[in-house]
Amino acid sequence: MENYLTIANSRLLFILAAVIFIFILSQSVVFFIIAWREGKKRGISSSLMLKAVKSSGIISIIPSIPIVIALIAMAPVLGIPFPWIRLSVLGSAPYELMAAGMGAEIMGIEGLGGVGYTAEVFSSSVWIMTLGAISAPILIILFLKKISGRYRKVKEKDSTWMTALIMAAYMGLLSVFIGKPIASGGIGLATLASAAIIMLICSFLVKKFKISWLKDFALSISMIGAMALAIVFAGIL
Amino acid sequence: MENTNLSISQIFDNKIHRLGRVTMTIGTLLLLSVPFIISIVWDIFPPMNKVLSGVLSLSVIMIPMGVAEIFTYAPIIGSGGTYLGFLTGNLSNLKVPAAAMALEIAEIDPASNDAEIFSILAVSTSAIVSALIIFLGVLLMVPLTPLLSSPSLTPAFSNVLPALFGALGAYWIMRNWKITVTPLVFTIIIYMIADVPTSAMIPLNALLSGLAARVLYKKGKLS
Repeated sequence: MENYLTIANSRLLFILAAVIFIFILSQSVVFFIIAWREGKKRGISSSLMLKAVKSSGIISIIPSIPIVIALIAMAPVLGIPFPWIRLSVLGSAPYELMAAGMGAEIMGIEGLGGVGYTAEVFSSSVWIMTLGAISAPILIILFLKKISGRYRKVKEKDSTWMTALIMAAYMGLLSVFIGKPIASGGIGLATLASAAIIMLICSFLVKKFKISWLKDFALSISMIGAMALAIVFAGIL
Repeated sequence: MENTNLSISQIFDNKIHRLGRVTMTIGTLLLLSVPFIISIVWDIFPPMNKVLSGVLSLSVIMIPMGVAEIFTYAPIIGSGGTYLGFLTGNLSNLKVPAAAMALEIAEIDPASNDAEIFSILAVSTSAIVSALIIFLGVLLMVPLTPLLSSPSLTPAFSNVLPALFGALGAYWIMRNWKITVTPLVFTIIIYMIADVPTSAMIPLNALLSGLAARVLYKKGKLS
């Protein structure tokens, strides 16, 4: 049997990946245009919407880098196109690695890229990674409208409480990623603290000296600064 | 309000649900086509009973987690943001913080009708930016590999999450410290005892945080 990597890196799979990539871009562009038009219709100024767009564009750059790193980690075993597809759609690196490993294990292989990782094992990884992840989109297609309707009722009944509830859910999410490094300590905690301190300094400078451009980049600056310090901490700790 | 006389925001909502359902169905089908194409073109069908048992054991985790995630994220990023965000993934580290920050910067109340517009703008922008970065990663994989996997830079890249959430935390806790105390203390205690997967911890913590906020709200401690 031919080496499975010739399949995994075949032109056909690259074309498929490109099609999916273009689909993802078009979907986002369509939603963007519809939201923008609706905003104009409601009399929201372009500059206000542009501000939101700029902020989310900038905020998204650095946290995307680990996705590329996961891609690089998966490519030797699963080829380039399939990890590209999976990390662009429904993707999260830990899930993909777990599911791909499971695909190998059910075929009696030690794990990803282990001895005996054949085309059949590759195909089994692909099947499991795909089928295992599609429950969320199916649930959304079927039930999101109903769920948002319920939230809308809460909102109409008491919008102040809804604002508090949304913030509470968001702070609950943030707390998980803040509390975890606090509990485990080490480089993670030092990096977390550095990012927080740099962010506070930036906020102070923005307020004190009215440097408005800094406001847009404060998050990125804090992240890059803390990541650079992580290298230093790794040398010390 | 009469049912026949839908508000502007409800008309927009319905439009978004229609578009979201259609695009999400297409996206899911495209994704499903990948294993089918591989198996048919190269004639490699893995033993389906084994695949199904693998899928089943994944789904036991993925389905309840999916439900919990939808309930957690839908109010924060709105319906449009949920369709877009769930299809492209990376919600907790990209889409949700991007949407929350966009609303904050535009000074839009997250419970207002216009919030839906801003979260769609934020989530779609975030999805486009990260899709383009992944694409760049594919194009430049050969020159990037030594850089991104260099041992001296590893500590920086393996600490992207603490760096992101340290910065976000400093920003948001200053504004919402009252509702943060309970979920944060709870998380720290849990992680001192056990290493719970973050995907399970997030909905649990969001629920707890919501309950704690309810108590504060009833007591009139949240203004």
